[in-house]
Amino acid sequence: MRVTRVAVTSAAALGAFLALPGPAAAHGLSGRADLPIPEWLFAWAAAVVLIASFASLAVLWKSPQLEEHDGFRPLPGRLSRLLVNPATEAFAALLGVALLVLTVWSGLAGVQTPQDNFAPTFVYVVFWVGLVLLSIAFGDVFRAFNPWRAIGRGTGFVTRRLTGRWQPPLRYPGWLGRWPAAAGLLGFAWLELAYSQGDDPSTLAVAVLVYTAITLIATACFGTEAWISRGEAFSVYFNLLSHISPLTVKDGRLGLRRPLSGMSTLEPLPGTVALLVVMIGNVMFDGASEGNPWVEIAPDIQSVFVDLGLSMGTSLELTFSVGLLIALGIVTAIYAIGVTGVRAIDHRPTVTVARSFVHTLVPIAAVYVLAHYFSLLAYNGQAIAFLSSDPLGNGWDLFGTAGGTIDYGVVGATVVWYVQVGVLVAGHACGLVLSHDRALALYGRAQAATASQYWMLAVMVAFTTSGLFLLSQANQ
Amino acid sequence: MRTRGVRAGIAVTALAAAVVLFVVLAGADDPGTDAATTQLQSAPTTTGGESQAGSTTTQPQDAQVTTAGESPDPQPPATPRIVVRDGRPVGGVARLEYESGRRVRFTVHSDVADEVHVHGFDIMKDVPANGSVRFEFPADIEGVFEVELETAHVQIAELRIEP
Repeated sequence: MRVTRVAVTSAAALGAFLALPGPAAAHGLSGRADLPIPEWLFAWAAAVVLIASFASLAVLWKSPQLEEHDGFRPLPGRLSRLLVNPATEAFAALLGVALLVLTVWSGLAGVQTPQDNFAPTFVYVVFWVGLVLLSIAFGDVFRAFNPWRAIGRGTGFVTRRLTGRWQPPLRYPGWLGRWPAAAGLLGFAWLELAYSQGDDPSTLAVAVLVYTAITLIATACFGTEAWISRGEAFSVYFNLLSHISPLTVKDGRLGLRRPLSGMSTLEPLPGTVALLVVMIGNVMFDGASEGNPWVEIAPDIQSVFVDLGLSMGTSLELTFSVGLLIALGIVTAIYAIGVTGVRAIDHRPTVTVARSFVHTLVPIAAVYVLAHYFSLLAYNGQAIAFLSSDPLGNGWDLFGTAGGTIDYGVVGATVVWYVQVGVLVAGHACGLVLSHDRALALYGRAQAATASQYWMLAVMVAFTTSGLFLLSQANQ
Repeated sequence: MRTRGVRAGIAVTALAAAVVLFVVLAGADDPGTDAATTQLQSAPTTTGGESQAGSTTTQPQDAQVTTAGESPDPQPPATPRIVVRDGRPVGGVARLEYESGRRVRFTVHSDVADEVHVHGFDIMKDVPANGSVRFEFPADIEGVFEVELETAHVQIAELRIEP
C-alpha cells in the first residue's frame, strides 16, 4: 500500500538503494500523505500523557467500578425492535454477501489501477478502517453484515432441512482460542504492508476468495458460530473493538452499558494477547514504515537479502516482512516488561497475568488504527461514492456519481493532527482506567494494586508516546 | 493510594509538573506561532533564503521552495525546475514546500514524453520529449502529495503544503 515501497523498488532496480528518494508520499490509493505532527504538539501531547497518568493514580476511584456489573440499560423497545429484527438481519446479511461478491468480481474483472477499482478502496478503507470506527461507535455491526457468517448460517439451515439433523464434525478446541484470528490478521497485515502486489485489485480478489474458502471450510468443520466467534479473523477483530462501544445487544434487546465496562467482560481466551500484539504491531509498523528510523535501516536489511542472491523485489518484500516482525517484537517486549513487573506482586504464571490485563490494550489498538488511518478514511473514504457507481472502472455510472472526485478540502492538516493526537491521548486514558479497575479487582485496595499499576502505566505510556513519536516522524 | 495526604501530594506534584512543562514548552517552541515555520526551517536544503523574514502566516512574499535536486540558478525566487533524464528525476525526488494559500509554481523538463500528474490536486499535463511543462496553481490543499510521471510510474517530486 505504500508509495515509499514503490520508490524503494525503483531506486533498487537501478542498483542505487543507498540513494533512496525521501520518504515520499502516501498510500498507493491516493498519492497523498499526512504531514508529520509538529514538534511542539508532540511535546505537549507526551507531557499531558505523562502528567495525566500520574495524576490518575491520585484521583481515580478506590474500588472496582467496571468489573462487577456493566450497568446495562435497554433502549426503548420500539427502537430496539426497529433495528434488531429478522428482516434487518436478513437484509444486512444479504448486503454483506453482495459486497463480498462485488469486491471479488470488480477485483478480477475491473481495471487493475488500484484507485480506479472498487476492490482496494473497499477492502483497505471502508472495511479495514471504516468498520473499526463503526464498531467503536455502534457495537458489533460487522456481525450483522458478516458475509461468511451469513453463508455459513444459510448453508447450515439448508443442510439441516435436507438431512434432518446435522452437527459439525469437529468440536472447536479450547486451547485454540483466538489464535486462528491472530494468524489471519497477521496475514492481512502482511498482504497490506509487505506484499508488493497487495493493492493490486486481482491479487486482492484472489486473497478474498482464498480466505473465503478457508473460512467456509472451517465453519463447516467447527460450526458457524464457533468459528466466527473465535477463529475468523475479522469477526473476532471487529467484535473485540466493539467492546469499546456503549451500545450492545443483550438477549435480543439493544441497550446501553456503562462506558468501558464492555472491555472488562472480555473473555481472555488463549491467543488474545497475540491478537492484540498483531493489532498494535501492524499499525505501528505501518506508521514506522513512513518515517525516518525505518527508511534509514530498510536499505541495509534489503541489501542483506540481495547479497544472499535474492531478487530486488523479493528482498524488498522480505525486508518489509522483517519490519513487521520487528514491530510485533517491540509490542511484545513492551507488554512483557509490564507483565514481568506486575509479577513481582502477582505470583500467578506469566500467561495468566498477561491475560488478566490484555483487555486494557483494546482501546490502545483502536486508537492506533484511528490515529493512523483517520485521513485515509476522511479522504479516500469519499472515493467509495464514485467507485460504487463504476466498480470496475470501465465507465459505468450506476448511481450518477461516477464523475465524483475526492475533496481534500474537507479537513485540513491541522484538524488531522488534532484528531490523531486527541484519539491517542483518549485511548491512553481508557487503557489507564481499565488497568486501574482491574488492579483493584485483582489485588484489592492493598499496596499491591498501586505497585502493579506503575508497570501497566509504563506500558501505556510506552505505547502512546511511540504512537505520537511515529506521527511526528511520518513523511518527514 | 495509601492515604489522603499521599494522594493530594501526587495531585499537587502533577499540577506543578504541568505548570513547569507549560512554561518550558511555551518558551522553547512558542506554540502561539504557526507550526509551519518550524517545519519549513527543518527542510534538508533551502535554496530560498527568506525563511526567517517573518514568522506570521501573512508574509507577502511567496513561500520558500526547497528542492533536493541541485538548481543551476541560485536566485531564490526562481521557479523550481525538475529535470528528468533517462526517465528519472536528476538529483532524486525533488521536495517542493509551500505554505497553504500561496501559489505552487514549478516546471518539469523531461527527455522522455510522459504525462505529469500532481496527485491530490489531480492536475495532469503532458510533457513532450526534450520539452518542458509549467505548473501554476493555488496551494489550497494541505498535505504531502506525489508528483508522478504517470505512464512510467516514477515519482519525480514531493509537494508539501503546510498549514
